Amino acid sequence: MDTRRVVRRERTSVSLIGVIGMSEGARARVARLMLTVMLVSMAAAVALLAGCGQRAGDRAGEDAANGAAAGEPVKIGAVLSLSGSLSGLGIPARQAIEVEVERINGEGGVNGRLVEVVFEDDASDEAKAVAATTRLIEQEDVLAVIGGSGTAQSMAMRTEIERAEVPQIALAGGSVVTDQLSPWVFQTPWPNRVVVPFTLRALQEAGVTRLALISESGGYGVDGQSVTEANVKRFGIEIVATEQFNRGDTVMTSQLTKIRAADPDAVLMWSAGAEAATIMKNNAALGAADPLPFYGAPGNARREFLEGSGEAAEGFMFAAGHILAPETYGEDTEAYNVATAFIERFTARWGVEPDIFAGHAYDALHITVEAARRVSGDLTPEALRDEIEATSGLVAIGGTFTFSATDHNGMSEDALTMYTIIDGEWIPAEKGR
Amino acid sequence: MGDVELLQFALAGLKSGAIYALVALGFTIVYAATGVINFAQGEFYMLGGMLSVWAYAGLGLPLPLAAVFGVAATALVGGLFELTAIRPRSDGDPLALIIITVGGSMVLSSFARHLFGPLEKALPAFSGTGTVSIFGAMLEIQSLWILGLTVMAVAGLWYLYNRTGLGRAMRACAVSRDAARLVGIDTRRIVTMSFVLAAALGALAGLAVTPLTQTAFNVGPSVGIKGFAAAILGGLGNPVAAVAGGITLGLLESMSIAFISSTYKDAISLLVLLAVLFWRPQGLFGRSSREKV
Repeated sequence: MDTRRVVRRERTSVSLIGVIGMSEGARARVARLMLTVMLVSMAAAVALLAGCGQRAGDRAGEDAANGAAAGEPVKIGAVLSLSGSLSGLGIPARQAIEVEVERINGEGGVNGRLVEVVFEDDASDEAKAVAATTRLIEQEDVLAVIGGSGTAQSMAMRTEIERAEVPQIALAGGSVVTDQLSPWVFQTPWPNRVVVPFTLRALQEAGVTRLALISESGGYGVDGQSVTEANVKRFGIEIVATEQFNRGDTVMTSQLTKIRAADPDAVLMWSAGAEAATIMKNNAALGAADPLPFYGAPGNARREFLEGSGEAAEGFMFAAGHILAPETYGEDTEAYNVATAFIERFTARWGVEPDIFAGHAYDALHITVEAARRVSGDLTPEALRDEIEATSGLVAIGGTFTFSATDHNGMSEDALTMYTIIDGEWIPAEKGR
Repeated sequence: MGDVELLQFALAGLKSGAIYALVALGFTIVYAATGVINFAQGEFYMLGGMLSVWAYAGLGLPLPLAAVFGVAATALVGGLFELTAIRPRSDGDPLALIIITVGGSMVLSSFARHLFGPLEKALPAFSGTGTVSIFGAMLEIQSLWILGLTVMAVAGLWYLYNRTGLGRAMRACAVSRDAARLVGIDTRRIVTMSFVLAAALGALAGLAVTPLTQTAFNVGPSVGIKGFAAAILGGLGNPVAAVAGGITLGLLESMSIAFISSTYKDAISLLVLLAVLFWRPQGLFGRSSREKV
């Protein structure tokens, strides 16, 4: 039929001079090829430009408050999940650090030196978190690394941290981060060993004796599940079902059906990702006639979770820090004043109120900066680590931090409040719930 | 285990199976036309949800219009993807084309991230958040939409393949591209159309699921893998087999959770897939294999 097509099937080597002598079909083919190359390079250029924009914005505090500068800036790295399934944790963290670096530099920085934070995105991926850590230490010469956002990422970064002997302040809530104590690793969120007893006490007070667990098969879920299993006994609670799901799963109905078949009094969910909303929706459908009380963890204190689950999250209970309702700090305490001032600055800059993840980053930055201010001699990673460990009575957002050689977290149950979701908003749950 | 619970597990399996089936159909249609596995198929699923959300929340279109926009725009992206990335190498070897689709999937998800941001996005349910009871088993109304849209897509495909000239040309292409060309079929147009169709089907799945799961720039690969497994399980290149493979995979996962453990559901599905391929390399419902390409 069309012989030109057959001709086209031969491989033609493309040279610009050759184009002129080509058959009509071959010329069309070359033209298309060139069009493709053009399109692809345009796409690449756009991507590069976007990337450059990102790079330029990847430093906070570079050109702030010129007058205060004397000597080299104090460089701190931050490995955050700015994309991927944990981006809901990483983005507010970055926003908090940007706001606070500006303020710290405006007030004279660290003993006259500016603070500069270099951000890296780990895309919620462990391997990328490790690579980012290496880059920050080797190329940027940072004095400390804040992050990662997730438990798995924070743990993966540890080998690099210990090899280079640079302090790390993790923003992830897994208990393992400070249970497996490393002299170089600190942690600002309330670890599960604090959150779990607090939550189990609330469950006990609500009369729950038969508990079902549903957890993500990743770091945070596994950690939450194992800490819960280790603690239920002393609260007189029995675990009657343990179900897991993977990131990216679209249907949770099967796991929830199995949970309902075990006839629990309540379900405790361990999921910091987007799947939590799917679970709530599938659960609402199954429990349309016979609802099942659902409990979660600080990882659920995200606006995307509220938005994604809608009505399905009504009555959902979870433990989180006081920042979601500052009055729970106790009016006119120092903590209340610190928090409300931060909320005001953050809201003025970003148009939304800070959440607990912004709070964890605030804490990590201030612990590091306060420690750097206390270093009397040369500001080295080692001297900084010693001063971070000496942090005592630092009133911040997540709680009041006091570290020691054996406790690199310093949080207790006092730092937590039980919240419930009513009309699409989280409010402090009444006492006794 | 009671009958109602068994039915509930079966319905849950059908729900995920329908999603896998739509994605698997996309794999199978492109494979039939080109002999290539399109690894960007999961990104069409992602774009269907993301573009609908953008039209609904960003442009303020009413939901039905936003849904149509999401599917149509993704179909357009599918066509453009074929024209700019696949067609220039349409006489190249399948391996190069497969690598191109892998690269294409990365480009699509990066663009989605830059355009729409990294956070997950929600879309309201098509007709309320209520539930229906089917012999005591409970299902979201949205799940009925998922099942209904899958049935409609399969019916539409059947009509396309059996009653239209384009469909017959696509089937001829699947049997033999050279023979199809010899009888005057414009095979390159068929390849483009198959990408458009595959993108629309993937987008339909992504759109139908978003009210239950939310969506984000990175949801493509995990669903893409499941759809690919479903297409292989059923038998590549055959639409009926793709749907059967999707439903089988969904039921398999749900029953693994019911009778064994949710921890191992994916491992169990994978083992079954390997076993099937060992005994029936052409898939559960595929015809015996023939030389392609």
